[in-house]
Amino acid sequence: MASVVLKGVKKIYKGGFTAVKNFDLEINDKEFVVFVGPSGCGKSTTLRMVAGLEDITEGDIYIGGRRVNDAEPKDRDIAMVFQNYALYPHMSVYENMAFGLTLRRVKRDEIHRRVLEAAEILGISDLLARTPRALSGGQRQRVAIGRAIVRVPQVFLMDEPLSNLDAKLRNQMRAEIMQLREKINTTFIYVTHDQTEAMTLGDRIVIMRDGVIQQVGTPQEVFDTPANIFVAGFIGSPPMNFFKGIVTEKGGKQILSVCGGEMQIKDPSVKGEVTVGIRPEHVYLTEKGSMCGEIIVSEMMGSELHLHLKTAEDGRVIIRVPTLDLSESDKERLSLHNTVSFGFRKQALHFFDPVTGENTLKKSSHN
Amino acid sequence: MKTISSNKKHRASNTAVYILLTALCILWLLPFVYLVLQAFRGESRSMVSYVIPKEWSLANFKILFTQTSFLRWYLNTFIIALFTSVIQTAFVLSVSYALSRIRFRGRRLLMNIILVLGMFPGFLSMIAVYFILKLIGFTGPGSVPGLILVYAGSSGMGYYVAKGFFDTIPRSLDEAARIDGAGRARVFFKIIMPMAKPIIIYTVMMAFIAPWGDYMFASLISFGYEEAYNVAVGLFTLLDREHINNYYTVFCAGGLLVALPVTVLFMMLQRYYVEGITGGAVKG
Repeated sequence: MASVVLKGVKKIYKGGFTAVKNFDLEINDKEFVVFVGPSGCGKSTTLRMVAGLEDITEGDIYIGGRRVNDAEPKDRDIAMVFQNYALYPHMSVYENMAFGLTLRRVKRDEIHRRVLEAAEILGISDLLARTPRALSGGQRQRVAIGRAIVRVPQVFLMDEPLSNLDAKLRNQMRAEIMQLREKINTTFIYVTHDQTEAMTLGDRIVIMRDGVIQQVGTPQEVFDTPANIFVAGFIGSPPMNFFKGIVTEKGGKQILSVCGGEMQIKDPSVKGEVTVGIRPEHVYLTEKGSMCGEIIVSEMMGSELHLHLKTAEDGRVIIRVPTLDLSESDKERLSLHNTVSFGFRKQALHFFDPVTGENTLKKSSHN
Repeated sequence: MKTISSNKKHRASNTAVYILLTALCILWLLPFVYLVLQAFRGESRSMVSYVIPKEWSLANFKILFTQTSFLRWYLNTFIIALFTSVIQTAFVLSVSYALSRIRFRGRRLLMNIILVLGMFPGFLSMIAVYFILKLIGFTGPGSVPGLILVYAGSSGMGYYVAKGFFDTIPRSLDEAARIDGAGRARVFFKIIMPMAKPIIIYTVMMAFIAPWGDYMFASLISFGYEEAYNVAVGLFTLLDREHINNYYTVFCAGGLLVALPVTVLFMMLQRYYVEGITGGAVKG
């Protein structure tokens, strides 16, 4: 159980490629932090620096208040789960889980007790005698997690642990990791490129791009007040819609012109040209109006319908429509190549600087 | 109809392939069969124009052990092969593992230099090696340790095959073990070595086999000291102009005995040789 602090951490690979730039973050004791971002954003590199598997070019890393820059991985009291499981193929499941404890000279009875306990938690008690090759993907991942939890580490590192599983198993394992977290209350750092995993698992999310932290915040914070266009587009599925808009003052009222329509807004932080963002679930269909577009893609998801519209200015809008609300005539109206009108929920509008891409509110905990 | 005709075609091409393979097989086996037959020929010991012996006997083996220093040569070679295989395996595996896993300054350069050096035939260095060994007294009567040095000394240069094998073992296994608490040495011995059985066997066999067939280095270094010959050099003396008529079949008997340890070793180890055991380590 320990806090993890990264101060000005930088990673420059041989050949000059900068993978991580000035990474500052304080992870509290027993916190579950998720690093998320597209591939190549430096999230795994950062995790591997915490683990001691990569050298730190600049900056300091502290685990439990101790500076660990030069400590070997084995001396950092961490455990890690790898994307490809990394089980020892010549050892049984039991031996795989016991290996780390044996090296640490834990007594045999204690090892036995801890392995059985972890196996019980993960539901792999009947697999202990098998070798990894005789296990399915999900079972292997459980063993990999088991190998990490028997050690009772100060910090638990997970590097895209679910990426190799199929969609159904991934959802199931995600839920299991959430339950696991209740049982073994320790500090977690979890790396993923999947924003759903990040949103559902993390106490706080660290969104990264090109080696730079874009935003740190709770799932709700980054969803409600994304720090910039990148975060806004990355978090949420389907992604947020963006448009060019202009805010003018008419008779003491703030008027936003967007998508061929006009609406009154109340936001002192915006004026002039602006990038407008709105999530697909905050766009609604109307009977008629000046904001309209042609349906070019219609995705039936069961409980909701995702409509992709092409607007007059050749913009794209995605709308999420709950299917429960749709009548038969609505369904007909929403067939391909029909033109439909739509409106925005004004309170859910986001405004970004068209040049820097920063949120005009800047009230999020962006670093 | 179509399937029948394609079946027929398939069978015809299969038959052709098997005929070719059988022919090749016979071709490869002929010299060995010839050697065996000559080794057991009893009626004369010179070269003859027929293959099947008229009289079978073990006399050639008896002569080999009583009238020549074959046992000594055999022992020399065995000692050399034994030490070489141990030292060479240690060298090759550690060099390959280091080159596969550790990123250090000059790694690529080193690998390239070794590659280029390896393109020169070994005997180019023969004279220099001879003088170095002579300085420390490892030529002539001291040839056995001398030859062990020669064979084992440059063995790290044969890192390609083993490095290629180590490259296929995911690095995350090393990393997992390091996080579990293992140092580099323990990772190597506890995690990598058990998975590297096929390549260990391969390295051991290659290292063990080579000294049995080396003539060039062995003849130079042990020149003039019959006691220090290896089997290749020793047996070849039986083919000298003044010996060949009396010892030709004895030579063949010796050849047969040389094949023995290598064959036994191969048979013992071949079951490990078939397949690696990396299955299930990582997602596959």
